[in-house]
Amino acid sequence: MRNKTLFIIPYALWIILFVVAPLVLIFYQSFFDISGHLTLSNYANYLTSSVYLKMTLNSVWYAFLITLVTLVISYPTAYVLNHLPNKQFWLLLVILPTWINLLLKTYAFIGLFSRTGSINQFLRFVGFGSHQLLFTDASFMFVAAYIEIPFMVLPIFNSLAEISPSLINASKDLGANQWQTFTKVVLPLSMPGVKAGIQAVFIPSLSLFMITRLIGGNRVITLGTAIEEHFLTTQNWGMGSTIGVILIIAMFIVMFITGEAKQKGGRTR
Amino acid sequence: MANKIMEFRHVEKRFDDNVVLRDIDFEIEAGKFYTLLGPSGSGKTTILRLIAGFDQPTSGEIFFDGKKINDVPANQRQVNTVFQDYALFPHMNVAENVAFGLQIRGVKKAEIKQRVAEALKLVQLNGYGEREITAMSGGQRQRVAIARAIVNEPKVLLLDEALSALDHKLRVQMQTELRQLQRKLGITFIFVTHDQEEALAMSDQIMIINDGTIQQSGTPVDIYDEPLNHFVADFIGESNIVPGVMKEDYLVSINGQDFTCVDAGMKPNERVEVVIRPEDLDITTVDKGQLVGTVDTQLFRGVDYQITVHDIRDHTWKINSIHKTTVGAKVGISFDPEDIHVMRYNETEEDFDARLDSYEEDE
Amino acid sequence: MKKRHLTWSGLYLAVVFVILYAPIVYLVVFSFSAGTTMENYHGFSLRHYADLMSDTRMITIVFNTIIIALLASLVATIIGTLGALAIKDTRGKVKNSLLSLNNVLMVSPDVIIGASFLIFFTMLGVRLGFISVLLSHIAFCIPIVVLMVLPKINELSPTLVDAAYDLGATRWQAFSQVVLPAITPGIWAGYFMALTYSLDDFAVTFFVTGNGFSTLSVEIYSRARQGINLEINALSALMFLVSLLLVLGYYIISKHGGRHHRVVAVKEGDVQ
Repeated sequence: MRNKTLFIIPYALWIILFVVAPLVLIFYQSFFDISGHLTLSNYANYLTSSVYLKMTLNSVWYAFLITLVTLVISYPTAYVLNHLPNKQFWLLLVILPTWINLLLKTYAFIGLFSRTGSINQFLRFVGFGSHQLLFTDASFMFVAAYIEIPFMVLPIFNSLAEISPSLINASKDLGANQWQTFTKVVLPLSMPGVKAGIQAVFIPSLSLFMITRLIGGNRVITLGTAIEEHFLTTQNWGMGSTIGVILIIAMFIVMFITGEAKQKGGRTR
Repeated sequence: MANKIMEFRHVEKRFDDNVVLRDIDFEIEAGKFYTLLGPSGSGKTTILRLIAGFDQPTSGEIFFDGKKINDVPANQRQVNTVFQDYALFPHMNVAENVAFGLQIRGVKKAEIKQRVAEALKLVQLNGYGEREITAMSGGQRQRVAIARAIVNEPKVLLLDEALSALDHKLRVQMQTELRQLQRKLGITFIFVTHDQEEALAMSDQIMIINDGTIQQSGTPVDIYDEPLNHFVADFIGESNIVPGVMKEDYLVSINGQDFTCVDAGMKPNERVEVVIRPEDLDITTVDKGQLVGTVDTQLFRGVDYQITVHDIRDHTWKINSIHKTTVGAKVGISFDPEDIHVMRYNETEEDFDARLDSYEEDE
Repeated sequence: MKKRHLTWSGLYLAVVFVILYAPIVYLVVFSFSAGTTMENYHGFSLRHYADLMSDTRMITIVFNTIIIALLASLVATIIGTLGALAIKDTRGKVKNSLLSLNNVLMVSPDVIIGASFLIFFTMLGVRLGFISVLLSHIAFCIPIVVLMVLPKINELSPTLVDAAYDLGATRWQAFSQVVLPAITPGIWAGYFMALTYSLDDFAVTFFVTGNGFSTLSVEIYSRARQGINLEINALSALMFLVSLLLVLGYYIISKHGGRHHRVVAVKEGDVQ
């Protein structure tokens, strides 16, 4: 079709201008220092500075913990949901909070966690006394996990729902008990969903900055906060871009590890 | 030919380096039911697509009503298609689907309404017009697809594996209906299928396609009784195909044993293949049999028994018989000279016809 | 034994749902409090809603946000649908690389998108403000539209287009009367997803918005950094309502048009 060639023009422009160009630019920018000189010093700085390296490790560690907590909460949730009548409705209820502006959900936790907020009131009531909750690492991770749960539940739920009931029956027919059926049939077959979930949670967790700022306090503790700080506060775009390149590399590593998750079907190897 | 509606002349079709059709040559007579029969990948659907205009031949010519139509696009051909998956438009109801072609052509509303109703009546879907496609069963969708095609009064109706998605019972019923419909409308049907039973049951003429060429064409009876080569004999019906030597006219040797036959016109001692249909072989007593063997297996199939017998030269014969026998029993196999059909290697259809004519005239 | 199993899992699920909904309920409840903090409920009052209604800065920002969302998703839907149609016609390597490029913005962290767009606009000399925010929103909404429309196009049997030609339709008629109506549910779904992506975005907007221009998310962020303000609660109650209506609208559309409505919408990569 001749008009198909016309169809592709705006889309191709979009790919060139808003997909390829920005990625190239952030890479390009990472070779310039704050005064505009072409240099490798940003990378040298990054690799020799204990502050940056510690921050990166921290960020990865937090992202790992957030992903782990989310997974531990989400897998049983997805599993139980999948056994309910009207499961699509319940799934919708899990997903509904994702349609509510992220800022508002985070804002709610400022109120909940504050020194005299509801959580502390409850803690005092049961006799634990009040604690500093806001601006701690724990509260930051809790809120991040809270935000991410639906993104973990959905892919796991989908891969569980795809497992044919006759496979479960076959496993039981061949003598496996409930636990054996779960570990040997259900769990391996749901791995694509788990991998997709990890992908959907780990990468955003590395780059968080809004939740970090509002709940975790005004500290630079993730790659995301560092990038934001360099771009919008200290105006050192070169260093910001360098950390951005690091983040992109981290993203590719995660995608490589959880690679085949995208091919839905059963086989993972 | 009397009333030629369509003709292929040396048509070849290639996709990149892949030759799908080679030197296809045939004529289609108006008002008949044709079947293109062949295994999947044989090129039969490609022929249909060339007729419909979805593809263009790489070389050769296609004529329709005496005019060359190689470059006429699909939407300007007086041909309509019933697709294998029906290709009903999911966002339209039954009546809207059937009306589509007429609307495109700008037929007046009142006339569309009347013609759609008539077409639905023809396929026995009276009053189903307002139904959604999703509310129709497989068999009903099939009928909608037929109605949508015939409402445009095409000169040729193409049916691409049109019955293959239906279950056996419905398929047999639709075969009868399609045949009746074709007679009633008097237009040419070209039906593509890989199901030989379907082809034999419905067609006036069958063209057997394999490997991008027409292997044999003729009436169902001709093709069944006188297959041209190994492929046709094997593809149509069940058969015993045995190598043999044509000693002289009307005498063929199979596995070293001589039999009288009704074929002639070959070189002395020419190596040939012999076809004997399982239903032409009869189980008899050992002393009355032309061949002697032991029964290996027996399967009851409802209408008959499917029996395999290995003879003393260790050749296994397939026999279909309405009489029961016993596995392990020693039996004789008998058949008549006219049950033997001799095929020459690499004989073309023209040579075959010429040879048949030559000695049949003698008689 | 079976019953017991059900109660335990039921309890677990109940706890998960309480955690998921508690913050939202909490926000909405306090929006009706007569007090000024989220600590003690001071009796029913609509004063924060009244405050919100008289806050002209906030009203302007809400208006800006909606304009951006409507415009961005409209343009993104057009470009994305054309893109999906073009992708459909490609094969093999070209198709795979187009799909990968399409997904780059879906998987990239928002900070990266925001930072790289900021560099891009600065280099081009685009003034940060309405235009830069609009262009960014169009850019990150396009891939989601493609992903919503493409399955509908793939679902379309190639014989449908053949059937249209066969029945006499021209190319344009086959496109406008067969292809377009058949993929319309996907286009609507794409539009709705784009709309919510745009309405919800914080990080990208935060990077590319200048001083003079703000959207709702950015405004809430800067107010939240200054502490609790129950006007935000009132706003969130209203936004919750709008979200519910959007979800409802989305499901009605996908149910109505889609013969296969297993589409469960989730906004991937929403977190930032």
